[in-house]
Amino acid sequence: MSTLTDLRIAAVGDIHLGEDVRGQYRKKLAGIEERADVFMVAGDLTRHGTLEEGKLVADELRGLPIPVVAVLGNHDYHSDMEREIADELREAGVIVLDDDGVVIQCGERKLGVVGGKGFGGGFAGKCASEFGEREIKNFVSHTRSIAESWKVALKEIVADERVVLSHYSPIKETLEGEPHEIYPFLGSYLLAEAVDTAGADLILHGHAHKGSEKGMTPGGIRVRNVALPVLGRAYAVYCLTCAEAPPADWHQH
Amino acid sequence: MEAPQYVAARVQQALAEDGRTHELGIRVDIRGDQLFLRGQVSGPEQRERLGQVAHEAAPELHVHNEINVVEATEPGEDEHLD
Ligand SMILES: [Fe+2]
Ligand SMILES: [Fe+2]
Repeated sequence: MSTLTDLRIAAVGDIHLGEDVRGQYRKKLAGIEERADVFMVAGDLTRHGTLEEGKLVADELRGLPIPVVAVLGNHDYHSDMEREIADELREAGVIVLDDDGVVIQCGERKLGVVGGKGFGGGFAGKCASEFGEREIKNFVSHTRSIAESWKVALKEIVADERVVLSHYSPIKETLEGEPHEIYPFLGSYLLAEAVDTAGADLILHGHAHKGSEKGMTPGGIRVRNVALPVLGRAYAVYCLTCAEAPPADWHQH
Repeated sequence: MEAPQYVAARVQQALAEDGRTHELGIRVDIRGDQLFLRGQVSGPEQRERLGQVAHEAAPELHVHNEINVVEATEPGEDEHLD
């Protein structure tokens, strides 16, 4: 008989921390190691993307007893200090993904995490295309090259489970509640297409504060919008159930 | 007189771009000389700043700050994906 073990992923996005709430979010993380094996943060850690805020977020996430993986969000880019903010986070022990991947050992199992900020462009049938003005082409090709990097990283990674961590959304369903007019600024189907092609077990994103938590890609990969205002709680925990070594009488179907 | 839609758009732009707030998800409605702010933020200070920035962007209007402060609660139930 095969044993089932859960890989428990705690996740949140859009914590948007500032000086006035210093220390408050950290308090909510007490005991997280009892609930989860890894903590993922889906971007928009700051409000204005200043270095001061970046340092504050680094302090808030520093020295947690479980691995912390993060991507940045559009707010973290606002002051053109994204590299410095990422460095501060890394110095505090946070793994910051920038269109690449990492493998984390969780007990017996290897968890692969691939991701980055992502970007917009809209959803199949109602999206921008690489045509016309240079500005539009740049916009779309930025998303396209991000999606391509994720696809490559997912294909290369060797792990038992694979999770994609993004700020922007790969699908429309988890945007439900947001005005339709701004969908193209909230995500792109190119991200979902890339992940569906390469395969993954779960996609986490933030950015859509008024969206909904649960959705699925056209390829059937579960998507969760973990933006703090959507969750309404400090973080969500998702358990990936997977069979360990198959028993002797196990036959593949 | 400026159409209320343009005033609302200008206020919303100010809430997003002003260095004190940078808040993107706030709804701005104008009825006559009354301006309504709705949405969610994580702290009372941010709510006050949004009210202030809205007032400065449209000083001729009376601002009703109906923004909710939502505090993140303890983590709830786990979801099992299988
Ligand atoms: Fe956000
Ligand atoms: Fe965002």
